[in-house]
Amino acid sequence: MTGYSWFSIVALFCYVFLFVTFLSMKKSSKVIHAFMSLLVIMILWAGGSFAMRIQLWPSVILWHHVSVLGMTMLVAGYYNFTLAFLEEKNARSRYFWAIFHFLLFVFNYFTGLFIPDPLVVESNGSVQFIYNYTWHIYILLACILPCLFRMIHVIYRHCKGNHIAFQQLRPIINGLLILVIGHVAATLPFFSGVPLDIMSGPINVLFMFYALYNKRLFKMTVLFTKANYFLFAMVIGFITGNRFVIPLQHFLTDAFSMNQAISLLAVAVILILYILLLYTGITLLFNYFFIRNEKIQQAKIDQFAEVNSHMLNVQDILQNLTDIIQDLTHIERILIFTQLIDGDFRVEHTTNPLEEKNFYLKSDHPLVTYFASHNNPVSHHEFSRTTVYRSMWEKEKKDLHVLNADYFIPLICEKGLVGILVLPCNKDNIPYPLSSIQQIHTVCSLSATPIYEATAYERAIDDARKDKLTGLANRKYFFEFLESEFKKYQESALALCIINIDDFKRYNQLYGAQEGDLALQRVAGILISNLNESSTAARIGGKEFAVILPGYDIHSAKMLAENLASEIGKISDHHREQIPKPLTVSAGICAAPYMASSAKELFQNAETAVYTVKRSGKNAVQIYSSEIYPQEAQQFKYASGYSENASTIQALTAAIATKDPYTYQHSENVAYYAVELAKSTGMENDLVEIVKEASLLHDIGKICIREDILNKPSKLTPAEFEIMKGHVESAVNIIHHLPSLEYVIPTVASHHEHYDGSGYPNHLKGEDIPIMGRILCIADAFDAITSERSYHKPLGKEEAIALMQSEAGKQFDPKLVLIFLEMVKNNSVEIRGASTAAQTKAEPDPASFPVQPAETSV
Amino acid sequence: MRFQEKLHEYSKEEIWEEYCGFLTLTMDEFMDIQKRLLLEQMEIWASSSLGQSILKGKKPTTMDEFRAMVPLTTYEDYAPTLLSKQTKALPGEPVLWIKTTWEGGVHPIKTAPYTKGMLDTFKHNLISCMILSTSRKKFEFDISVTDHMLYALAPLPYMTGLLPLLFKDEIDVEFLPSVKDAVNMTFAERNIQGFKLGMKKGIEYFFGLGSVLYYVSQSITSMRSSSKRSSSLKDKISGISPTMMFRYMMAKRRCHMENRELLPKDLFQLKGFMCAGTDNRCYKEDLEHMWGIAPMEIFAGTEPTCIGCETWSREGVYFFPDACFYEFIPEDEMNKNIDNPDYQPRTVLWNEVVPGGIYELVLTVFKGGAFARYRAGDIFQCTGIGSKLENNAIPRFQYIDRDPRIIDIAGFTRITEKSINQAIELSRLPIEMWTAKKEYSENNRPYLHLYVELQHDHLINSAVSIRILQDQLGIYFRYLDQDYEDLKKILGIDPLKITMMKCGTFAAFEKKFGTSIRKINPDACEINDLLVCHQSNTLEIGGGLNDWI
Repeated sequence: MTGYSWFSIVALFCYVFLFVTFLSMKKSSKVIHAFMSLLVIMILWAGGSFAMRIQLWPSVILWHHVSVLGMTMLVAGYYNFTLAFLEEKNARSRYFWAIFHFLLFVFNYFTGLFIPDPLVVESNGSVQFIYNYTWHIYILLACILPCLFRMIHVIYRHCKGNHIAFQQLRPIINGLLILVIGHVAATLPFFSGVPLDIMSGPINVLFMFYALYNKRLFKMTVLFTKANYFLFAMVIGFITGNRFVIPLQHFLTDAFSMNQAISLLAVAVILILYILLLYTGITLLFNYFFIRNEKIQQAKIDQFAEVNSHMLNVQDILQNLTDIIQDLTHIERILIFTQLIDGDFRVEHTTNPLEEKNFYLKSDHPLVTYFASHNNPVSHHEFSRTTVYRSMWEKEKKDLHVLNADYFIPLICEKGLVGILVLPCNKDNIPYPLSSIQQIHTVCSLSATPIYEATAYERAIDDARKDKLTGLANRKYFFEFLESEFKKYQESALALCIINIDDFKRYNQLYGAQEGDLALQRVAGILISNLNESSTAARIGGKEFAVILPGYDIHSAKMLAENLASEIGKISDHHREQIPKPLTVSAGICAAPYMASSAKELFQNAETAVYTVKRSGKNAVQIYSSEIYPQEAQQFKYASGYSENASTIQALTAAIATKDPYTYQHSENVAYYAVELAKSTGMENDLVEIVKEASLLHDIGKICIREDILNKPSKLTPAEFEIMKGHVESAVNIIHHLPSLEYVIPTVASHHEHYDGSGYPNHLKGEDIPIMGRILCIADAFDAITSERSYHKPLGKEEAIALMQSEAGKQFDPKLVLIFLEMVKNNSVEIRGASTAAQTKAEPDPASFPVQPAETSV
Repeated sequence: MRFQEKLHEYSKEEIWEEYCGFLTLTMDEFMDIQKRLLLEQMEIWASSSLGQSILKGKKPTTMDEFRAMVPLTTYEDYAPTLLSKQTKALPGEPVLWIKTTWEGGVHPIKTAPYTKGMLDTFKHNLISCMILSTSRKKFEFDISVTDHMLYALAPLPYMTGLLPLLFKDEIDVEFLPSVKDAVNMTFAERNIQGFKLGMKKGIEYFFGLGSVLYYVSQSITSMRSSSKRSSSLKDKISGISPTMMFRYMMAKRRCHMENRELLPKDLFQLKGFMCAGTDNRCYKEDLEHMWGIAPMEIFAGTEPTCIGCETWSREGVYFFPDACFYEFIPEDEMNKNIDNPDYQPRTVLWNEVVPGGIYELVLTVFKGGAFARYRAGDIFQCTGIGSKLENNAIPRFQYIDRDPRIIDIAGFTRITEKSINQAIELSRLPIEMWTAKKEYSENNRPYLHLYVELQHDHLINSAVSIRILQDQLGIYFRYLDQDYEDLKKILGIDPLKITMMKCGTFAAFEKKFGTSIRKINPDACEINDLLVCHQSNTLEIGGGLNDWI
């Protein structure tokens, strides 16, 4: 075979190889179809040329025309491809040029004017094809030029001012130039016999192939298939084999005296084996370069999955995840958001400990919404092009900008999205390779379920171990932990501090259960913020906390306990308007191995120290030992200062008596009822005194109400009633100016709160209302309905009882009201309203009993 | 990445999904975007001094609270802050301020701040409009960087002047004439220059107010008619490209054979044809006849930015989900409010509108915009929910007109009761009573119809013919309102028609129906009743005087 034939074979192989490869693609676009059409044209051209040169049946001339057909259609095919590549809308001209060029071929077929049929000349056993070109070939070139110019125009139009389009097109332009140069040069006598036109074809195709790859219209992996390996082996086998087939057959015939048929069969078998050997070699070679690395990485991923499946700690899994990602891809910065219990996502893990972690994605964040319906990674840029991105807040956009996020990879398991891995842009802003993203996605998918399970496990453990109100360890876990810590530190040092809040029951009674809970949460907050990482705080009783202090000696533990007591005493300093009294604590300390030989003993000793403090006046820190460090008692006593405050109270009630004579008597009556009820509930004397003082002062705010409203003989309008409701706030404001009476504020402030939450001013509910407020509410209402008003007569005893009873659980504490009504029924309480009504003509507080008479109430 | 780069980087389907994906959102998905963006806007707006001047210390945290706490607002509520450009009082840092006419002579202008977020959204939505204007079906659009756009829009600081700048930010479409040159040209010069350049380079897009597009299209036709007789025809066509020359010759031949005038569609094949403003309905058919394709309506305004556009079906305007939060005042509520200005009308949400319902639009501008629950004064009709053509399930709307209390002619004027009173006062014409209504001529062109009744005592001593009334009032309308003058200057139309009523007609109407007729845009039947009163012989005062006026 001549050099022409060899070039034709190489070109043909190149075209067929690409054609078969693209044919096997499941999805292909218009531009791929155009490329394949071009390849068919190339195959016709190179195939025709090759068949002609080997003088294949039926005739040289036929194959010459096939080759000419490919050649004349080439520009039209190229034009079609360019239009498709540029997505040119107005592409009807492609049909015109295809037909035009086909007609050129037909004309040449019948006339041989442009490209004459070759002369077949045999010399020295080889065959040569002589083309006697005349100037007519330039007519053909001239006919082809308009289409070429049109194509250049289209390219120019698309690339003008658009550097991206130009970059994408550059390989195609280069290929085109090579093709044109090759064809023009082939017509020059100087290059006669050199197949420049055929050589330019494959080079051009490779340029086009690169352009398609660059435009991400297919993946390179489509080339590395078994079919392609086999095709490759066949061609190499054919090219290399044809040199030794004939000599081998002669050798077999001569050396082994085989006849012609057997030697031919043997050669065929050897050739097949040779090709198989080549196929195996090629497969191994490619696999070595492209798959070996992949296998190593797969082994790492398998190991990672195995390790993950045994982990129950989220942090460990996340660390493991970032480690393998860094190992596989060498990416430096990684952030992982995981889902919190409320559904939001927070940065839980970063590869750089200095990275800011204060980033949250709300549960309705567009990125979270996006991953609800997409499982695949998405780049920041791609995400910003989605419709869901349109709901992104400007602040959220800025946050992602601050994170410098480039890629988001979801951690999705069967239960849904459990986290999002964020890859910030790398230092040089070079896009991450797709293969790296796919690998990360794989390991993220493998991590999602372990993360979900570990999170669930940690939450379950937390639920079992933590006190719900304070978030500290609960009693059960405390004892388990104390035991284990004791074993761990018994040789060094372990201190235990038990902190018991003083008079907490009274605190609850004074300020209500809600305020009490808040106080407990604040104490817990103080414990958490003052302890180091190795120490543990627990709530071991309603008002009792314990702090396990590994490595602490007695002195350090005492210093810490005093500091904690001091902090707890300051809680109320920055609290709201209604200032509760400062909390005090009694703390007991014991430490091992100095004073205990077991965890149980350690605990008992610390408890004993607490009791010692309680017995000796509370509000102190005591170490369990013979040496006691007495603390200056700063015990706050709720002992009533009635005797000292009596004159102040008298002065205030006298002021209201001048403005509203009824209220003075009403307050006296309410005080009587409230005290009786308080006593019957078993309340301590000092608390009963507080009830009395609060009752006398509960309507002091009426001083601030206009007299025309206060003494209005008829029903109040809704607007007037709104003004009247302001007396509670006014009363609190007045008492605030009398620091010695501040402790009555919670009671006064809550005497219009209803048990079902429908009262005012704070709409407190149930036991969130201080007990003394609930008592005052009953006493106030009872006097209101049993006193005479201008618009209704006082209710009789039975009617009053029935009415009060109907409001049990609504306006009144159901237990307290029953106790009170029982006392009324058995005359333990004397009804005072009716008797005093005659003495005063003024009106009672219409807000005291909002149900009856309904017309005057809100 | 600019839009034109995306044209090469992404497939049409991907680009469509990015810019026009909102068309196939479900109702819930659309509302999710609305509610989410409202939460952001609510927080920053309520924290700003401007927001607090309206909220008076309240702070809404949910959509329902927002709707309950924020009253419906008009520009009056924002004027003290916005007219003095108090940027610190605003919810977001403005990048620029856009100006528009408010109420002619009464309040000459209003200004609106635009934040970066608003401009980004505006730009995105504008590209959606561009894509949809060239689309013939889903995923099919035709935009190229080598395209040319003829535009008939006012320059900055008007909102329309922002459009070329936003387009330029995304794609190197060539504007005819260039934005830089156009600033220094008059309206007529711009049209002539734009057309000349169009003849050289071709025109692929045409964008402007409906009325202006119509005027420009007519000008193009007349320019060619005049060039036919012109001695300098060679000069005029010297710059025309060979392709255009060929097309021109073919078109001439075709027109000659069809015995009709040359129309723009004979020379240009528009890819996109976009119109904005009011009264587009009046011009759409003629424009389609002249250009061969129906214009696509866009809804944009100074306060809300670009909030919606039609699609290839031209069945109605679809709102963008991320420009504003939309509320709608139903027609009955709107009427109650017209009768009793103190009445706070109820609003419904975008997903609560019903097909056929007529609504006044209430807007809360997202992304740091100044306006919350703002009544821009635009009336829409819901033309349907869900479309088979567009394969969606969301409502679409048709722009009806301005608020009935405003008469807007061809998107140029904003005539109110106040401005008419002012014109009458300045003219010193003895007009006793009047009512004004926007009406449409036989060829479907809008005009202001003023029904007036003169003072009986002045009739004998004053020259008050209809011609005089028309001239005088026209002078003062032009004096008070630059835009009214532009109607005459730019479009060459005088939109004022006057009908003089007999003395006592308005009193007779009041006596007969127990209520006086609405001053602005009364119902057609009320006008009929008024005319019946006018024709009646039982008028008590001055019945015979009108005969010789």
